Amino acid sequence: MRFLPSFILLTTATMLVSCGDSGPSGAQIVTRELPGSHQSFRLVDSSAERFRYQKRDAATAAGATPASTAPDLVYTTPEGWKEQAGSMMRDVNLTFGDNDEGECYVARLPGAGGGLLANVNRWRTQMGAEALTAEEVEALPKKPLFGQPATFMTVDGDFSPGMGSTEVKKNHRLLGLILASEAGAVFVKMTGPKELVTENEAAFDVFTSSLDVSLN
Amino acid sequence: MARKPIDWSPSNWPKLLYQFFTSFKVATAVFVLMTLVTLLGTLAQVDQGLYAAKVKYFHSFFFTDKIFGIPVLLPGGLLLMIILTINMILGALVKVRKRWRGAGLLVSHFGMIMLLAGGFVTWAFATDGYMALYPGMSSNRVESYRDWQLEVFPLDENGRAKQSWILPSDELQSIRVDEQRSYDADGLPFHVIINGFTKNATPIPTASIKSSSGKGKEIDGFKLVPQDASKEAEQNLPGAYVAFDPDGEGEGIEAILWAGSYRFDPGEDPMPFPFTIDGQLYGAMLAKKSWNVPFEVRLDEFIFERHPGVSTARNYESRVTRVEGEKETSLEIKMNEPMRFAGYTFFQESFGPSDGKPGEMFSQFAVANNPADQWPLWSLVVTTIGLMIHFCVMLVDFIIRSRRKTAAATQS
Repeated sequence: MRFLPSFILLTTATMLVSCGDSGPSGAQIVTRELPGSHQSFRLVDSSAERFRYQKRDAATAAGATPASTAPDLVYTTPEGWKEQAGSMMRDVNLTFGDNDEGECYVARLPGAGGGLLANVNRWRTQMGAEALTAEEVEALPKKPLFGQPATFMTVDGDFSPGMGSTEVKKNHRLLGLILASEAGAVFVKMTGPKELVTENEAAFDVFTSSLDVSLN
Repeated sequence: MARKPIDWSPSNWPKLLYQFFTSFKVATAVFVLMTLVTLLGTLAQVDQGLYAAKVKYFHSFFFTDKIFGIPVLLPGGLLLMIILTINMILGALVKVRKRWRGAGLLVSHFGMIMLLAGGFVTWAFATDGYMALYPGMSSNRVESYRDWQLEVFPLDENGRAKQSWILPSDELQSIRVDEQRSYDADGLPFHVIINGFTKNATPIPTASIKSSSGKGKEIDGFKLVPQDASKEAEQNLPGAYVAFDPDGEGEGIEAILWAGSYRFDPGEDPMPFPFTIDGQLYGAMLAKKSWNVPFEVRLDEFIFERHPGVSTARNYESRVTRVEGEKETSLEIKMNEPMRFAGYTFFQESFGPSDGKPGEMFSQFAVANNPADQWPLWSLVVTTIGLMIHFCVMLVDFIIRSRRKTAAATQS
């Protein structure tokens, strides 16, 4: 019976000793000489530049026709991804992989763009997968897009891009993010060889979470 | 038989403490709690990430966790290790009766104490960071993966600085998001006021709907919006509202400082917030905590090969020159073949940028300095020797007793 009282005594004492305050502010600033490799800085004119916000309108920058009259988009291009010319249907067009075999694009359409269910199943059909019911689509996970919860989907299979192409790309993966409302619809679609897309899933999140409308 | 009541008088406390720390029951309780803490800490790594779980469960005196939905206060790994070390020193080395028969156990317990002491030295003194270099670059500066400090420096007309005032990472990172602290220093002609520090944040233009979740002030069209902490602590980009106040009246030049303005490629320069006070141009930024190693490393060549047709690296290694004053030593650092020198170990860690072409890429070394990195090996050697001695003693003892029994049986 001597063990328990001793244990309680010691535990209480230790708790009291360890519950210190980190303390208020004081003269904790120290000085140091900067080594040669740390002496130069890049002075920029604006907070936007300092925070790495750059207007990147891929469609217009590449000389193509802007996709719509909607506001320009700003975003972070993940490391290793390349910007490609946009098109009438694609506001942002990016590729990745050694031979640009992976692609990711953003499309915006007025209105609901055909609706969530139809678009999810259109993409699933392109991958040779069965269509989902409305309840199953409702249960798909959500990820943020423009600060709103967008429906996220992943499908593996053989990819038939359609749009006049009869090519079937074996063992591919599709990641999709759809934000559909009466005010407008936004689609982010990423496709490529399964292994390559898996390697770039984190980059997909970086890209989609950075998407925003331009300040200008 | 009635137990003798415990004498709680202060004069008896040393004896009570000695009884407590030498108790075998304490050792048993510590081992049970260590099992629980290890289980909880390991499971927590899934949700919280390796670093955050390590700090909460293993580098703490106490922590709270929910067990079956009920919050429970538990002793942390650090406290348990300290109690176990004291218990083993007092119980297994001091209190134990010294006999030749117990010499092996004494040695093996000493080995285990060495292991615990090594863990403490690692926790208290080990450092880990990285050094990234493009071919032709050299440096003796190692940067932390996850600790950020505030740096303020006077800039010359070419945008260069030779000296910096630093608010160390321990102090900066202890500031809460809703807390204000003020700092000054000799030679610094203004007060540095921190109006909240966020461990992971993004500056968002106020024109964006996403900025609405930021509770802080709008400065230059931006708000600092807190983000969920990443599981990988090195991916967090902290931010802070900072003011530089010449007269200490609470106003001054305000800025949002964000870790994303620092360099992420050894070839680029950081982008400080520039401001002028009394005609002198200053820069301020959140920078990674850094420290010197007692020699320079120059990257002469970075060899990088990919598997054909895919972006996965097949092999990468660095040819470097270690410079100590006038002496230069050429060597290679490869995967599993680090450079060990002056207590520091340089591992070939990674490379970048990921879309770089061979010949235009930087090489990144993990730089570890642990005064006790070989202690686990030596403690295991000592423990093994102790157990072997004990085994031999017990074997000889067994043989002698067996012979005596046999002799006794023969005589009877």
